[in-house]
Amino acid sequence: MTRPPRLEEKVVRGFSWAAALAVPAIVGILLGFLLWRGVPGLSLSLFFGDTPPLDAMLRSAPVFDGLWPACQGTLSLVILAMGLAVPLGIASGIYLAEYATGRLRRVLSFCVDLLAGIPSILMGLFGFALILLLRKTVAPVANTGLLLSALCLALLVLPYLISTTRLAVQGLPHALRLTGASLGFSHGQVVARILLPAAMHGIFCGVILAIGRAAEDTAVILLTGVVANAGAPSSLTGKYEALPFHIYYLAAEYQTPAQLTQAFAAALVLLGLTGLMFAMARCLHARLDKKWKTGTSH
Amino acid sequence: MENGNKPLNSSVIRIEDLCVSFGGVPVIRHLDLEIGRGGPTFLLGRSGSGKTTLLRAINRLNECFPGSETRGRVALHVGGAWIEAYAPGTSLERLRRQAGMVFQSPNVLPLSIARNLVLPLKTTLSLPDDECELRMEAALREVHLWDEVEDRLAVPASTLSGGQQQRLCLARALALRPEILLLDEPTASLDFKAARQIEDLLAELKSRYTLVVVSHSLSQAHRLAERVLVLRDGGSIEALPENVFRDRDALLAVMDEIV
Repeated sequence: MTRPPRLEEKVVRGFSWAAALAVPAIVGILLGFLLWRGVPGLSLSLFFGDTPPLDAMLRSAPVFDGLWPACQGTLSLVILAMGLAVPLGIASGIYLAEYATGRLRRVLSFCVDLLAGIPSILMGLFGFALILLLRKTVAPVANTGLLLSALCLALLVLPYLISTTRLAVQGLPHALRLTGASLGFSHGQVVARILLPAAMHGIFCGVILAIGRAAEDTAVILLTGVVANAGAPSSLTGKYEALPFHIYYLAAEYQTPAQLTQAFAAALVLLGLTGLMFAMARCLHARLDKKWKTGTSH
Repeated sequence: MENGNKPLNSSVIRIEDLCVSFGGVPVIRHLDLEIGRGGPTFLLGRSGSGKTTLLRAINRLNECFPGSETRGRVALHVGGAWIEAYAPGTSLERLRRQAGMVFQSPNVLPLSIARNLVLPLKTTLSLPDDECELRMEAALREVHLWDEVEDRLAVPASTLSGGQQQRLCLARALALRPEILLLDEPTASLDFKAARQIEDLLAELKSRYTLVVVSHSLSQAHRLAERVLVLRDGGSIEALPENVFRDRDALLAVMDEIV
């Protein structure tokens, strides 16, 4: 016998539906607005100014008045930051999930939560202060630049990676550990060959979150080496341009409506670039997963 | 006997004064036991009497559970020599390969059928690819699964039926070339037909491996066992005489009394 749903159930159900629909609606509106304002500004000259695109891409001809150096800057920045943060974050997450015990585990977890709560502008200030300290002590010529920004961004995204890895590994069924042990795997082999690959999906979500966060952050790079017209990044310690800073700069200081359109177009490009990096990460994840599950990668 | 420690020639597992506790709560208390070659040796007892803990004490798998503490002596005769399971110098990994285990519910890894067998071989023995393939096929044939999975080795093992998964788990343990097989209620989660297949397999395997089976099924013990041990609340273990476990009614009567 079914009874008619009570009022509370109806309200909760309605609210759940509304919440579920609100998310895609907000994404749709945001994307629509960005497309509406940004698409008119998209052109080759938006990227390369007056420089021939092939020269810029292949022969690293300097680009003035274009987004190309900023795209290169953001891409280098994210790759560097991920190169620093992903191994460290995954290793720390595994340590917390599998090896740390008791008091040490609680203290370390608290530190990770604390790090997650630090505003990005503080991370930028930390980088800036670090350079000042280095200049006064061991390296008088040290200056802000790409590597310092990447380091600070890595610190910023580290807690996401640690927490997602830790939760993903801890959430795996105990039977997996038992199976590995019963087959003569050492604890290290259980972690490396069974738990880590099985937790890959969760870890991958953390990496996606970290990529997005590193690609969009403006506060950190503002204080650690980004400038408006540096050109393509030339070295690890050199100044560079970046898309979020470019957008911020244009939106704050535009003189003509065309410049504002350019800012919207740049925002669209940043979105596209981030999407591209997500796709790359997903592809890598799919390959790794297939290799683990079947022993082949194709 | 030349000295007091020398075990019987035919025994393969020797347990002396074994105590196992979890978080300070004793589960096995001062148990002595010898298990002979071949078998199957069936371990019966009430739920919670410590059968599984006793089984896991043999390959030291209790250590994977928090708060476990084991005292006493467990010696296994494998590779032509006696090894002390709990001696500091004993390789835990080698011990667990030599005393393979099959669990109550099939615990296939979330991998393809082939990979379930090959991953342990590669990881623990670092075998080359062709040797892995050979061992995989041999193990799958040994459990009569090869003909069923030959053409779909790359599909996830979880797509197999429960009985097939359990046979895969058995094959996975066999591929590591153990001498002892510990089976923890291997048919408990299977339907009648699949359970019968596993039983038939055990009857075949007993000539090549030493089998120790924890079971709840009296009729299974009645059909298969060479020796039946009854564990009472972790404290004492008693071997049933053959005329008792060969006689279905006598076995039932004894178990009613004990359990």
